Amino acid sequence: MSAREHFAEHRRFYIGISSVIVLVLAWELILTYIFPVNPFFFTKPSLIATAFKEQIQGAKLWHDLAVSSQAFIWGFSFAVIVGIPVGLVMGWRRRVEYSLDPFLTALYASPLVALAPLFIIVFGVGVLGKAALVFLLAVFPFVFNTFAGVKSTDSLLINVIHSFGGGEKDLYVKVILPSTLPYIIAGARLAIGRGLVGIIVGEFYAASEGIGFAISQAGDTYRLPEMFVGIIILSLIAVALTELMRKLELTIAPWRAGEEVR
Amino acid sequence: MTLFIQAQNLTLCFRPKNREPVTALTDLSLAVARGEFVRIVGPSGCGKSTFLNIVLGLIRQDSGTLELNGTPITGPSQERAMVFQEFGLLPWRTVAANVELGLELKGTPAAERAKRTAELIKLVGLNGFESHYPHELSGGMKQRVGLARALATEPEVLLMDEPFAALDAQTRDLLQMELLQIWEHTKKTVLFENHSIEEAAYLSDRVIVMTARPGRTKDVLQIDLPRPRDYEMRLTPEFNEIKLRIWEVLKDELSSRSYT
Repeated sequence: MSAREHFAEHRRFYIGISSVIVLVLAWELILTYIFPVNPFFFTKPSLIATAFKEQIQGAKLWHDLAVSSQAFIWGFSFAVIVGIPVGLVMGWRRRVEYSLDPFLTALYASPLVALAPLFIIVFGVGVLGKAALVFLLAVFPFVFNTFAGVKSTDSLLINVIHSFGGGEKDLYVKVILPSTLPYIIAGARLAIGRGLVGIIVGEFYAASEGIGFAISQAGDTYRLPEMFVGIIILSLIAVALTELMRKLELTIAPWRAGEEVR
Repeated sequence: MTLFIQAQNLTLCFRPKNREPVTALTDLSLAVARGEFVRIVGPSGCGKSTFLNIVLGLIRQDSGTLELNGTPITGPSQERAMVFQEFGLLPWRTVAANVELGLELKGTPAAERAKRTAELIKLVGLNGFESHYPHELSGGMKQRVGLARALATEPEVLLMDEPFAALDAQTRDLLQMELLQIWEHTKKTVLFENHSIEEAAYLSDRVIVMTARPGRTKDVLQIDLPRPRDYEMRLTPEFNEIKLRIWEVLKDELSSRSYT
């Protein structure tokens, strides 16, 4: 394969990476030569890079990440465990849909982070409070996407199962769940973003450790490079988790590969 | 002729919410013998599909009786299987897993399922495609899977709801011929509905012509062409005469359609 063919095939990657490099260089050069701002008020990539190196060699960053991850994993796991079954039953049982709909719609539409103080009061400043906040934010994408997936299940396939004498359990296992899976994964992508917001807000509001706390503390004390390190690490985690979901979708729903239009 | 499927005065009215009720069938009566290949032709929307769904057991008639081998049909059963117009394959299952579906729901042991599935995949000519997903198949191949799936549970009655309507003309011809061979080989009772006169005359022992909605039996025509029938037979004057007879019965219904 010639270099040109190689480039053509991975065009998306190369163009994407170039635009990131251009932006970082421009940021660095502008702040160094055109507007040399006091590093106390704004920072530039070279300083962030130095801070990054220091941080990943130290123990505090890893401790903060471990603390935040713990809350995230608990909250997110419960969102999966509660959200998917609720969405499934809501989609299939009209009475459940009608009775839950008003609460869910109201809660989904409201800025739930406003409940952060309440959660911290009820569940405390530790892992539990943050996990509860993550759960609250992440559960709705699971409920609503699962619900939408069930609703969009092809009625022909339901007839197929019925026509072979299949019961309700067969419907769930053989049709509704697999046809809803891609929706659930799309919901998971949304839930990841919202869950990370939950962590950060929880730690901004009341915490003594964690990545959100580290960001807010660095900001409060004008250590901008350190603050950016936290932000960059958060976005890397978000991107990695989202990408993981995409891979997961291709693994558990290989039939979608042929249907997806780019 | 011993009666196998007997429908008497079937009537069904759909009552959708906030809309006018639609009478799909009125006093539909027909009888089919065991092993017969019967075509039901009629203008589109005449209630043919509704009738097949009643035979399948997915919907119940408002009044009238429907019996299979002397027993009333009250719900789905593996003695009846449908080949659906839009295939109805599960996209997350491979060809083999789709063919197995009915056997799985019946509780057939895995080893026996695999054996039966392999036989059927061979019967419909899909060897080598066992682990393909439906989206990797052409329309004709998808319907071969649909047919294999319906035959897998060894139903006594095969219901075909315009199964080849979504396919191009050549694929349709090919599948019609193969279906005929499979039928001659398995001797299932087949209820096949469509609106092609040509196909009706070619494949059936009898053609039941239905009226425009609400559907009733308008006429029953015996097709006394020799079997096995081949493609060349379609060029004979006898074949054309039969087509003309079906057309004569059907044409008033097509012009009296009261809807668009």
